[in-house]
Amino acid sequence: MRFLLQYRRKYGKYFWIAVVFVTLEAFCDLLQPTLMAKIIDVGVAGKQMDYILHMGGVMLAVTAVGAVAAAVRNIISSRVSQQLGADLRGDLYEKIQSLSFANIDRLDKASLVTRITNDVTQIQGFVNGMMRISLKAPLLCIGGLIMAINLNAELAVVLAAVVPVVILLIVFNMRIGFPLFIQVQNALDRVNSVMREYLAGVRVVKAFNQFGHEEDKFAQANRQLEASSVTAIRMMAAFGPGITLTLNLGIVLVLWLGGIGVRDGHIQVGHIIAFINYMIQILFSLMIISMVFNMFVRAHASAGRIDEVFSQQESMAWNPAARLDAGGFEHSVEFQQVCFAYGGQGSELVLKDIELSCRPGEMVGIIGSTGSGKSTLVHLIPRFYEALSGQVKVQGRDVRELNPHLLREVIAMVPQKSILFSGTILDNLRWGKPGADLADLEAAARLAEAHDFISAFPDGYQTRLGQGGVNLSGGQKQRIAIARALVKKPAILILDDCTSALDAGTEGRIKKAIREIAREVTCLMIAQRITSIRDADKIVVLDNGRIVGIGRHEELLERCPVYQEIYQSQFGKELS
Amino acid sequence: MAQNPILGSPRTGGTFGNRGSKDGGKPRSFTGTLRRLWEYLGHERGQLTLILFFVLADAGLTLVGPYLIGLAVDTMGAAGGLKPFGPLEQLLLLLLITYIAEGGVAFLKSWLMAGVAQRVVKELRRRLFAKLQKLSVAFFDTHTHGELMSRLANDVDNVSNTISQSSVQLMSGVIAIAGSFIMMLVLSWELTLASLITVPLVFFLTKTVSRKTGLLFKDQQARLGQLNAQVEESISGIQVIKAFNHEDEVIRQFKTVNQQLTEVGTQAQIWSGFIMPLMNVINNIGFAAIAIVGGILAAQDTITVGVIASFVSYSRQFVRPLNEMANIFNVLQSGVAGAERVFEILDETEESADKPAARELVRPRGDVFFDDVSFGYRADVPILKNISFAAPQGSTLALVGPTGAGKTTIVNLLTRFYEVNSGRVCIDGHDIRDYTRESLRRCFGIVLQDTYLFAGTIAENIKYGKPEATQAEVVAAAARANAAGFISRLPQQYDTVLAENGGSLSQGQKQLLAIARVMLTDPAILILDEATSSIDTRTEFHIQDALKKIMQGRTTLIIAHRLNTIRHADTILVIEQGRIAEQGTHEELVNRQGAYYALYHPAL
Repeated sequence: MRFLLQYRRKYGKYFWIAVVFVTLEAFCDLLQPTLMAKIIDVGVAGKQMDYILHMGGVMLAVTAVGAVAAAVRNIISSRVSQQLGADLRGDLYEKIQSLSFANIDRLDKASLVTRITNDVTQIQGFVNGMMRISLKAPLLCIGGLIMAINLNAELAVVLAAVVPVVILLIVFNMRIGFPLFIQVQNALDRVNSVMREYLAGVRVVKAFNQFGHEEDKFAQANRQLEASSVTAIRMMAAFGPGITLTLNLGIVLVLWLGGIGVRDGHIQVGHIIAFINYMIQILFSLMIISMVFNMFVRAHASAGRIDEVFSQQESMAWNPAARLDAGGFEHSVEFQQVCFAYGGQGSELVLKDIELSCRPGEMVGIIGSTGSGKSTLVHLIPRFYEALSGQVKVQGRDVRELNPHLLREVIAMVPQKSILFSGTILDNLRWGKPGADLADLEAAARLAEAHDFISAFPDGYQTRLGQGGVNLSGGQKQRIAIARALVKKPAILILDDCTSALDAGTEGRIKKAIREIAREVTCLMIAQRITSIRDADKIVVLDNGRIVGIGRHEELLERCPVYQEIYQSQFGKELS
Repeated sequence: MAQNPILGSPRTGGTFGNRGSKDGGKPRSFTGTLRRLWEYLGHERGQLTLILFFVLADAGLTLVGPYLIGLAVDTMGAAGGLKPFGPLEQLLLLLLITYIAEGGVAFLKSWLMAGVAQRVVKELRRRLFAKLQKLSVAFFDTHTHGELMSRLANDVDNVSNTISQSSVQLMSGVIAIAGSFIMMLVLSWELTLASLITVPLVFFLTKTVSRKTGLLFKDQQARLGQLNAQVEESISGIQVIKAFNHEDEVIRQFKTVNQQLTEVGTQAQIWSGFIMPLMNVINNIGFAAIAIVGGILAAQDTITVGVIASFVSYSRQFVRPLNEMANIFNVLQSGVAGAERVFEILDETEESADKPAARELVRPRGDVFFDDVSFGYRADVPILKNISFAAPQGSTLALVGPTGAGKTTIVNLLTRFYEVNSGRVCIDGHDIRDYTRESLRRCFGIVLQDTYLFAGTIAENIKYGKPEATQAEVVAAAARANAAGFISRLPQQYDTVLAENGGSLSQGQKQLLAIARVMLTDPAILILDEATSSIDTRTEFHIQDALKKIMQGRTTLIIAHRLNTIRHADTILVIEQGRIAEQGTHEELVNRQGAYYALYHPAL
């Protein structure tokens, strides 16, 4: 948990201030039973009103001091835990934004979200609890023991019997409880997964009339959950009353021994009451300590998951002095003997010996079956991933020399799945170029055939998009994503099969527009349909991670068997 | 009763996003929902009465303890009890018995409650799931999975906590307050009066602070929702963020939301943290009042020291639940709100029941006929307008048109996932509403764009529509669907276990399995809803071949936007804005140079 060190440095002093106030608070709490005992033994028993009033005042003053200490400690602990949570979230978020795709793939996106939300909350709660109760509990426990022994060493013998039994019960409780609750958790996961699966496949279930089957599956998981919950709760049901009973037996013992002491005349009645109060205090602090321990186990697991993110090594390095030249290069994108595998050395190659170069102004089409490596190929250009061997060059420079930020400035990409962000359409378009004026954005939207439908919205460019652009159709999202890329005025434009929801006419017009404005732009276009790329300057045919053909449409039709097959499947004599 | 903090409740671990319960603190109809929940406890009434008895006994025994301690203290003061088994020992024996009984009763109470609460939530979960089976597809289209999951998990969990913990706490709280108050009156009305001065303070404090914290916590929850949404969005879109060098921008956005959350969170925590120390002060003021008045009374010999000792315990037992009550009530409220959200689903309108005279559709031929059908998912937004067409037995009908034109809606009406607003849909000459839903659905085989496979083996998935099928039938179906090849290359072949939704299979392989699955049920009508759209054209080639085989002799409806999938259909319907714009064969439509021609012009 090395990541926690820096926060310790930052918040350490507040922590110690909190400790001071907690100690003060605990001290005040510990004084209470003694003061009460004095009021009863001396004041009430001795019928001294002055003494009662005097000690009553003292007691209220002590309470007030304790309350002030508690309030200060409360403010400090709230601020520290919340601020720490905020820092942790912020740092984690920045770290995630800086992770390479290889790392993100490994950690899984959904789990990154839970780490930044649930896990941080877990730690935040623990820190707050720590500063609030867990410091106080040991103080109260030890202080209570000292006060009790001080009050009457003879009665303290009872403590020597009761406290170990309670500790033993608590330990047993945790030992038995943990595995049982893990079983409950597993059963719950099972119920949830049956449900999730049903929801995801509801159309299939309905289409095939398989309700009985699904209900059986659910009933089984449901029964399991009920059974494990009942077992767990029932096993635990014994411990609460057990601990209370132990304490109560202690109280009976104290009263008995105390009674004998009173008869002998060497114990005062008030002392017995005070002693019982201390006993209750000790017991409660023991229970709180065990609760803190529980919280610690949970927070520890969370800290582990957060640590995993923080300890991701930055795998990307670059030469800080390296810059892209404005000109003087022949090829804007070059692949030289590039091999790539997602799992690194030894895992299955996704790209094999890729050799490809594209000139400025060239329109390059990429086609091939699913899994042939089309997207992977273009992801190497902005250095989302790094080649296993060989070189990827942008404008004549090896991408590994370049700061990814500089590199990505000249590249615009439209991903396969149009990802838009909540905010207005304008905000989304501005992603391409922060500070771009309206005219630029509109021009780009026109090129992407998006202006007309955007203007048709009541709020036009100010239309707010929900998360992921839910209120737009697939085709509209794709066109906004294309416009966003065009706003950037890139040197290299990558279109990753991003026109699938557009009809052929719209697609053709967008392509034409791109060609016209961008005589110096290298455009790489991944497509499913041959019609999308048949007029490209160069078509790359990928099959199984290998380039099996490069050339113009007519050339490939003549000599590339894979391309012929694709052509046939789209235009030929299928189904006949 | 001291609640054992270690037991707590089994934490369910927040589900992703926590959507359903985000804004759900307050129930809409508290008593109504409570009454309904009570009905669910119906079979458990016997056990509940027993539990109630134990709660009463527990509270009663808890009240006896301090009284006996007071008596014991007084006996100690009295001289002359030097006998080995005097009044003190007798009292202590009584106390011992009381404590043991209390422990036993508390244990039995929890033991029984665990059973009742878990059975009730199990029943609630079962009914919820059973209900989901009866809801129409429309329902699933309008509710997100996250929301439904959250109702099953978080809300049901809330209900369970309410039943097993808050309700018992509330009962014993009320009993403790009432009992302590009576005991206090019995002991000394003067002291009771003195200790009551703290009650208005407690009320005032609880009310002010809890109103303040209530608002703050609500605000905090809303901000947390915002933060979660921002995180979810920016992590799922991280590729675009990086491609556009937008990291700093989203970090700045995050920091703003994060800062707002922190400020509200700090306020909320500080305010709620004030309650404990303030309560402590109030308790001690109460104690001081008791000591002073008690001292005066003791001086007049009206009461004994033992009475004061007991009184102190009772006044604590009286005030503490008062303070907790507000808290318990909040938990109770959120539990009832959870129950309400569960009931909301249970109250959803189900798919309409079959007509009483509905008959089985046996050996369907597959004659499909749409007669002047109009439909809208919402009554005021028509999707389909006056659609009429026929697809005779064994023919192939293709539906084309822009996204949103209503192609999938036609399929939804044919399968009765949705019901027509006007007009009728007929199969084999009879309105589909005259058939039982089950027999109707059995006559379709549907292959969707996004094939769903269930967790289980490949064989189980193929058998999904016909669980009784033999292994030989499965293998034959896979062979006819061109799936046998890739299955035989898998390590466990037909017994290969798939993760939820196919796991490592490619889209094309999943689609082949879906075709095999349909093949096995031997349907009269085949529906291919964009079945090959997310497959590249080369893989599609093999799938087309499989489809061609199953299409033989069946009425087939194809929805597609790829030309090659539709050009050989017997009839092509061009749907535009909910109407049939054109219909005819590929050649006829191309020659007409109308809507169809415009759609596919560049590809021709």
